[in-house]
Amino acid sequence: MPQAERANAVWITGIGAFCPLGTDAASSIERALSGRSAIGPAPSAVCEWMPHSLAAQAPDPLPLLDRQGQSLDRATQLALVACDEALSQSGLLQESVQADRNRIGIYGGIGFGGAQTVDSLYTRYHQAMENHSQTGRNPTIMHPLSVPRMMANAPVAAVSMKYGLRGSSYTYSVACASSAVALGEAMRAIRQGWLDAAVVFGTEAMINPGAYMAWNALRVLAKGEGTEASLSCRPFDRQRSGFVLGEGSASLVLERADLARQRMVRPLAELCGYGTSSDATHLTAPSREGQERAMREALIDAGLQPTDIGYLNAHGTATEAGDTIEAQSIRAVFAEHADHLPVSSTKSMHGHLIGAAGALELALAVLAMNRGALPPTAGLVEPDPACDLLHVVGKAHQAPAVNAVMSNSFAFGGSNACLVARRVS
Amino acid sequence: MLRDTIQRFLVDTAQVDPAKFQRPGLRVAELDLDSLGLVEMLFEVEDRYGFQIKEPMRYMDMTFDEMVSDIEQAVREHHGGKLPEDGRATG
Repeated sequence: MPQAERANAVWITGIGAFCPLGTDAASSIERALSGRSAIGPAPSAVCEWMPHSLAAQAPDPLPLLDRQGQSLDRATQLALVACDEALSQSGLLQESVQADRNRIGIYGGIGFGGAQTVDSLYTRYHQAMENHSQTGRNPTIMHPLSVPRMMANAPVAAVSMKYGLRGSSYTYSVACASSAVALGEAMRAIRQGWLDAAVVFGTEAMINPGAYMAWNALRVLAKGEGTEASLSCRPFDRQRSGFVLGEGSASLVLERADLARQRMVRPLAELCGYGTSSDATHLTAPSREGQERAMREALIDAGLQPTDIGYLNAHGTATEAGDTIEAQSIRAVFAEHADHLPVSSTKSMHGHLIGAAGALELALAVLAMNRGALPPTAGLVEPDPACDLLHVVGKAHQAPAVNAVMSNSFAFGGSNACLVARRVS
Repeated sequence: MLRDTIQRFLVDTAQVDPAKFQRPGLRVAELDLDSLGLVEMLFEVEDRYGFQIKEPMRYMDMTFDEMVSDIEQAVREHHGGKLPEDGRATG
């Protein structure tokens, strides 16, 4: 490390975030480095039947949107705000750049689609059925935009239309790995010459009773009773009890390095490695073999050695099996370097953003590398010996010499994705 | 009142120029609504009166006045001949 940049390198030239940690990328990394969790009680509609429920809620995007944007599903609204910041930072759409918008793709990752719209639709339907004998109203009268709001590719479509981006627009729904896959696939498309640039994002907004009760039934959520909300999600801790559902969006603008260099852009990092695998074993249980393969592939793709990685943002969902298996996978891939590789799970602070997790966590890892400080795993007090890693605990860990970072995303369905980014010298 | 509801939607949400409604014999096609805009407009009525209006595209061949009368007739058919002040409250 560091090797020469490959001829078709892909740069990250803009980052946006609108998530529980903050209303933009700068405030989000600041909050993550402070080690203060943004987890709190879930909305009252959720807590009514599921007391002590927790959530990591995003700020309100409505004041930042025009009237048309305000009429869309919340997941699309969050994505619009995050993409606006990333695009603006990249400068890609400035008139002077004269970017060919037919060559700019839109790659989105989302787990559940327009969950808010779906939940509202059923709520309205059931209320109308209950009231039918008094009102005589047909309970099936729904807003005609229900389908275009709830469809999984609504966020990608909205971003494409807002900025007149006419390259390929794809939506990846790979549960918790959705936006990590979107990033990796966009990087490949640029490398292979199909696109000059792509705005990539992950988004998710499903903190509503319908989606929440489904998660609750799966028994993977952190216990809210008897614990302080901000310390409830404790990845790698002996006392861990699961994750907290989060919502929000993060966006990264990817560009062909040679074109970005021509327009004198200062890159935030090079997105240089992507590895994916499928476990083919279990619907929800993780597999070491699949995770290791994804991490190894990402390193090979990046042309880096395990020792080149200076920070790993773990998938780290704080589930019993998930953390143990991931720690073992990291140990297997990094061998003795694992003793020197700082690892943290920022989900302890922003919750689990499901489809948006991969994009937000890679964004935080890149921002941390550039700041020379690594965010901790909040709430990690007593590390589980079964998760034998070099944990970042308490507050930010100063690390000015980190030149490459890895971010893991391991999804239900056995889909694994791993990304590597490195400093551009 | 039904006309006001529809007109308000068209001006506020569909951004139709309010001056258009002064035109005698204004045709629905002149409102420049696409099919999605048309059904969004009808939803304003459907949501108030609790039923779905049939075959929306036929309105494209009508004048605005003809459409309002047709919708009013449909509302009355669903409400025992009456045109309730506020469909939401009175059913």
